[in-house]
Amino acid sequence: MSQSSERFEQLREIVAEVLELEPEEVADGGDFVEEYDADSLRAIEILARIEKTWKVEIPQAELNEMRNLKAVYEVVARYAGWEE
Amino acid sequence: MPVDLDHERISALLPHRHPMLLVDRVEAAVPGESLEAIKTISASEPCYAGATGFDYPAGLLIESFGQAAALLWLISNPSAAGGLPMFAAARDCRIEARVRPGDVVRHLVRLEQVIDGAAFASGESRVGPRRVAAFASLMAVIKPSK
Repeated sequence: MSQSSERFEQLREIVAEVLELEPEEVADGGDFVEEYDADSLRAIEILARIEKTWKVEIPQAELNEMRNLKAVYEVVARYAGWEE
Repeated sequence: MPVDLDHERISALLPHRHPMLLVDRVEAAVPGESLEAIKTISASEPCYAGATGFDYPAGLLIESFGQAAALLWLISNPSAAGGLPMFAAARDCRIEARVRPGDVVRHLVRLEQVIDGAAFASGESRVGPRRVAAFASLMAVIKPSK
């Protein structure tokens, strides 16, 4: 597994844990709010886990963008300096 | 700066009142980092009225730890004081041993992160040297006073 897909799967696990789902239930483009009933508190919890796991700081303004797993990955990659 | 809070200071910081104010004393605190608080369990607590078992309810133990975490957050961030701290989520909390009347529970709380008006704390509760509960992550938010 490449490093980027490993990180992607790690993100999927974080999101699944916070949304109380199995990782395989979290689709790459599944909308957290529309499809998984997430609220703003869950979004902040996901952000907190990411910041802690990768020791990266993500401005809270990005929360609006982090609506699905792919979007979350893109935001984190930008702030953590992950190569595409 | 170490901090020591008696019950009067605690009730000035927390909105909780008898019988739901579940922290008796703060013995040590480093704002922004950690706090040690005491909760003494007595057989005269309302939760034992008419009870047949005497294990202290897990929900109250978690609430007590949560109040200790709220105190740590409030002394760390004075601008939050005046707002209403609200318990939002608990993850991976384990009750590992019974707590009974006569036990003195010591909560050891660490403030992990504060993000966008939400605080995350972790820690454990002990009775004497024995760990009775472990808390991987507690989340709270402040509802502004206005």
